Amino acid sequence: MSPALFLKFVEVSFRKEIAYRFDYFVMILNGFIYVFVFTSLWRTVFAAGGGTFGGFTTKSIISYTVVAMVVRISFSMDDGLIPGRVRDGSVSVDLIRPVSFQLMNLAQSVGYSAFHLFARGLPIFVASAWLFGVRVPAEGLPAAIVSLVLAYLLLFLINFTTSLLAFWFVEIFPFTLLKYGLINLLAGGLLPMDFFPTSVRPLLSYLPFQHIFYSPSVILTGRVAPGNAPVILAEQAAWVAAFAVLSAVMWRAGRNKLVIQGG
Amino acid sequence: MGTIKIYWALAMASMRARLQYKASFFVLVFAVTLFYAAQLASLFVVMSSFKQINGWHTGDMAFLFGLLTFSLGVTTLLFNGLQNFDALLINGEFDRTLVRPLNPLAQLMFSRFEASTVAHSVIGAAALYYGAKMSGIVWTPQKAASLPFVIVGGVLIQGGIRIFVNAVAFWTLRNAAIVHTVVFSGREFVVYPITIYNAGVRFFLTFVFPIAFINFYPAQFFLDKTGETLFHPALRSLTPAVGLLVITISLYAWKAGIDHYQSSGS
Repeated sequence: MSPALFLKFVEVSFRKEIAYRFDYFVMILNGFIYVFVFTSLWRTVFAAGGGTFGGFTTKSIISYTVVAMVVRISFSMDDGLIPGRVRDGSVSVDLIRPVSFQLMNLAQSVGYSAFHLFARGLPIFVASAWLFGVRVPAEGLPAAIVSLVLAYLLLFLINFTTSLLAFWFVEIFPFTLLKYGLINLLAGGLLPMDFFPTSVRPLLSYLPFQHIFYSPSVILTGRVAPGNAPVILAEQAAWVAAFAVLSAVMWRAGRNKLVIQGG
Repeated sequence: MGTIKIYWALAMASMRARLQYKASFFVLVFAVTLFYAAQLASLFVVMSSFKQINGWHTGDMAFLFGLLTFSLGVTTLLFNGLQNFDALLINGEFDRTLVRPLNPLAQLMFSRFEASTVAHSVIGAAALYYGAKMSGIVWTPQKAASLPFVIVGGVLIQGGIRIFVNAVAFWTLRNAAIVHTVVFSGREFVVYPITIYNAGVRFFLTFVFPIAFINFYPAQFFLDKTGETLFHPALRSLTPAVGLLVITISLYAWKAGIDHYQSSGS
């Protein structure tokens, strides 16, 4: 797919979101509630514990909370799209399009997320930075940007892979719920991995989830020194590659299995 | 008596509708339960690191969570029919309830049996049970008798809030995002004891948007916490009264909304 066509898909999907922008400032408030609850919580428990825990100071955990939440909001994706198109059969139109199904979906996802980045992520970041104070050291930015791109691809591929289950199951909502349960708990959007009991931490490092919100957030906030970032980036890239292969295999198998109901 | 029979028939009909596809419903119940269990697990992760939050230990926190979640389970059983209420108004389906000889709000109650009801009730009950055990609550007759009233009070508060924010739709038509924020995200405030917030937010959660009465204030009573962090110690036993107040106000708002309502014409 040519970059120009990719950008066209991004743009169309971005515009579609603008059309549905009603209530979006209510959704800003929505994200802000989480930031407020968790910064209040960390302030309380860090003050009681002498101001440091698990490598975080009160200041750095607040930066982490804000950054992780903004990343999470900006990574909003519409994962009902593919299952819906499989169910109503319109995926058949996608099949005959002379463009890559994966790249088209990625482009649409980027457009969707870009809207949420500008409409919700940035306002929440600015308001939180002003109210709570956020430190994002400049020297970590290059590595952080790479990490963010990899994290985005990873989340997209996890969503994409789960969506492809629609080729085999009529109702994939239970899978989607389980996926979100795992992501909410283990991706670092609210709780950094450092707060998990030391007994389960090794297990978590074998899972892809922490590379979605935790890895980019610790690099962005300087919790990880830029010198140590390459190891994390390599792990993220490995997970992206693994899910790219898995989803490609599933896409092939699913496409061959697909039966469109008449009508 | 006849009205209760009608309610019963409505409730059973919605339950039967949901259970048409039994296997898929139970898979869904299982998934929803795991989803919310992950939420409870994140609370335990926080407690495993920090041991206590302003004097609330793991058992106390589980009990706090249990009061909130169990009453949410009962609330969804009664009031889930109000979900996507704005859609009912926009497509005109709400008008059907207006021409039937039964209160429109009553027709919406019980009208949607959801998997989340089972999940919240199960997780809430488990959290209440283990929370009470871990924090060593001694069930005096007074405490045991108070528990149902506290749950009912919590249900009235949450149900009242749902009715109130949905009544707004009679004027604005679309209200899905407001409902989501007030009903679902608002709840996040009271997963943790409200002593973590500044006085302004505590005041807000007590006197303006009184969700702290669902769990924070009654939990103080059950856990024998002294009330030095409260505005007044009497607040610990006011949950049923606050519930009645909230539901009364919300019913007035609902009635005003219906009087204003002129149908979308679709």
